[in-house]
Amino acid sequence: MPQPRALENIRVVDFSWVRAGPWATRWLGAFGAEIIKIEWPESERGRLPSTTTPQDIEVNLNTSGNFNDTNVNKKSLSLNVRSAKGLEIVKRLVAVSDLVIENFSSRVLRNWGLGYEALCEIKPDIVYVSMSGYGHTGRHHHYTTFGPVAQAASGLTYLSGLPGEPPAGWGWSYMDDTGGMYGAMCALTGLYHRNMTGQGQHIDLSQMVSSVPLNGPALLDFTVNGRGSRRPGYPPGNRAHWPGTPLVNNYRGPTVAPHNAYRTDPGGYNDWCVIVCHSDEEWQRLVQVMGAPSWAASAKFATVAGRLQHQEELDQGIEAWSMTSGKYELTERCQAAGVRALPVQSAEDRVEHDPQLRHREMYLPIEHPALGMRKVQNAPFKLSETPAENRLPSPLIGQHTRQIVEDLLGYSHEELCAGFADGTFWPTKRPRFPYMEEMLR
Amino acid sequence: MSDRRGTDTHTQLGPLAGLRILELADEKGQFCGKLLGDLGADVVKIEPPGGEPSRRIGPFLDDTPHPERSLSFWYYNTSKRGITLNLETADGRQLFERLAAASDVILETFRPGFLASLGLDYQALRKPNPGLIMCALTPFGQTGPWRDYLSSDLLHMAAGGEMASSGYDERDVPAAPPIAPGGGNAWHMGGHFAFMAIMAALVHRTVTWQGQYIDASIHEACALTTEAAIANYVYRGEVLRRQTGRHHAAGTTPRTQFRAKDGNYVCALVAGRLTPKYIGELADLLDTNGMAGDLRDPKYQDPAVIAANTSHIIDGLVADFIASQTAEEAYHAAQQRGFTWGAVRPPEALLDDPHLHDRGFWKEVEHPELGRSFVYPGEPAIYNGSPWRISRRAPLIGEHNSEIFCDELGLSRGDLVVLAENRVI
Repeated sequence: MPQPRALENIRVVDFSWVRAGPWATRWLGAFGAEIIKIEWPESERGRLPSTTTPQDIEVNLNTSGNFNDTNVNKKSLSLNVRSAKGLEIVKRLVAVSDLVIENFSSRVLRNWGLGYEALCEIKPDIVYVSMSGYGHTGRHHHYTTFGPVAQAASGLTYLSGLPGEPPAGWGWSYMDDTGGMYGAMCALTGLYHRNMTGQGQHIDLSQMVSSVPLNGPALLDFTVNGRGSRRPGYPPGNRAHWPGTPLVNNYRGPTVAPHNAYRTDPGGYNDWCVIVCHSDEEWQRLVQVMGAPSWAASAKFATVAGRLQHQEELDQGIEAWSMTSGKYELTERCQAAGVRALPVQSAEDRVEHDPQLRHREMYLPIEHPALGMRKVQNAPFKLSETPAENRLPSPLIGQHTRQIVEDLLGYSHEELCAGFADGTFWPTKRPRFPYMEEMLR
Repeated sequence: MSDRRGTDTHTQLGPLAGLRILELADEKGQFCGKLLGDLGADVVKIEPPGGEPSRRIGPFLDDTPHPERSLSFWYYNTSKRGITLNLETADGRQLFERLAAASDVILETFRPGFLASLGLDYQALRKPNPGLIMCALTPFGQTGPWRDYLSSDLLHMAAGGEMASSGYDERDVPAAPPIAPGGGNAWHMGGHFAFMAIMAALVHRTVTWQGQYIDASIHEACALTTEAAIANYVYRGEVLRRQTGRHHAAGTTPRTQFRAKDGNYVCALVAGRLTPKYIGELADLLDTNGMAGDLRDPKYQDPAVIAANTSHIIDGLVADFIASQTAEEAYHAAQQRGFTWGAVRPPEALLDDPHLHDRGFWKEVEHPELGRSFVYPGEPAIYNGSPWRISRRAPLIGEHNSEIFCDELGLSRGDLVVLAENRVI
């Protein structure tokens, strides 16, 4: 017998698209909520354009690999919300749902007649999570974001890089991932509150604003001590401190050395290992792992102050040694001796070579009708009674339209066919996928 | 506390009001506890006698190191009460069991097996309290070959894949290493996922009144936080390259980060959007500084001409436009016209952002023992029916010992003295 799900019997109307919103509802789906993704092929963003369709498969609305990973555990209803009939169907759906989540710009859903107040009239205890770029209030609510822009405007980008160089930033939309986290967190918190009090609410999440609290200690250093991040030696790359600059905390953890990335054998693009020593004792252990080379016995490396001061020389010595081994071998030898070390891992490394992720079954295959058996990412937590699981592949666009419209909302099959004929469920001039023809029989 | 919108947030309860959380967490889990506390849960932080070692992380108030002056500790421990308790004593364990029996959630970040070695494993703690939820948030989880490995923020950013995606174009910084973005975000990633798991268990409990055990892994949380990198590999076998200030990619993409007149940068997403319609809008934007160049030439109605001139448009016209003004000016000029651009700001610049002030984002937090109050960052989201708020500054060491041990558990002042003398509290 399958185990119960944490969000058994919770239904979510999901207007979200691109990445942050869908990443939020993916997790609600993993907890067992029924996610109904409202889509429209003419204004789709998330399925296309796709740079993650396998080379041997045709690019279309159903073949984006990234869409598949981001939208497991969901059903798809294709619906023209901007038609009178579509609006009525959405309202009937909201009446039997617990949560509405959307990531449009601040005024879009309200202009469609689907603002919080309007939905409250249909479902008084609805939990309504809006995930916009800048929020629904404030003078710049109409500004728009993608992850990199939220990261830039919030201070996150600035914290990444080498001193004296342009910001390196984040090599992906960290705030689409993290914005998605906050979307799911707001939804779960709102649901908990509703279950305890009977009250729904509108939760106004902003991608840009939610990035700011991630800079907490740096912000307090400014508001309390008057010290800004714009200063010599900051950000210090992978180090805790950049040699030759004032000793000031870098907001990552303790100020220590060694604390860096080192090249490893065979010197390829991702052949790097990071090594950190939090104490003299850990440093002495590293010295032993390195085979106690004569340079490391120098008194200038015996203290943390000395290691910070002579970091260039220290790092050169460590790298001369690290380049003689592979990053996994180095990791095992260091960790066996109680030294903090881990490999820099690419996506390939994580999927193929990381023994821990393999043991924890991080990537398990699911069959997708157009993409075949593909590994998708699993949850980073194991709940003993209600495990988070990926049970459904991502939906084909409109795949569940009949099921939702007829079985859930009680429309007749004739009404479904009429809705396809008049452009409510699919643009009349757009070729239908074979499974839609099947639906209309 | 009041917020700067002038609304009284005292009278309304946060969404997690009524929940009692016990936090046994260092730098790995304190952020998760803050997230719960700021939303109204009664988070009781249990520190070893003398205080949690994360009080030793800087920066410090006025650069004077002291366990009560760590700004990092201050930030990550708002809205919590604090007690001290030595779990490695029989008295300490007994008091902890009494607290656990009356709590909803325990959040712990000890090395795997530590609490069990003290007889404080989940099975034992849930016996008198079947609704108890216990979340262990650890570097690698409770099982597996790396279970007992040591970690740090930098280590997680390496193994999680963040570093493999972040860094520089070869032409910008030759032979640059992969770069770990700063700010301690490995702990944020772990905290976000742990919060989610705890909340899912809490929602489930509102229906069943049964608790459960959660084994959460920071390494897995980080490995899940690189957007499409995994999909690029799984579906296309691609390993992505690092590029200055922009997305990792299989090949080299046009730059998106431009230097403004004041030396700051602007993130301007232009490539991939260059249609004839966009060229017209871009011309309007660049014309605000009289710098549209040849963009109004009818030749740009032809997508092939645009494609052939991508570098001229991006590295020439857009770069020159941004270089002619400050980053803030370029950012607002662009956003006001619908362009998704952003100034790359150092965190302190956010204090001057009027939008954040409109949203009442910055909070004055009182530190009564110092007779001062300080400005803290506020809420990621506005909960319109149940406000987020910082209910108090981080606890002093053992600040709530008498409140919890005497007022709540019924110990006498004399008992407290004995416990203190015996290094129990």
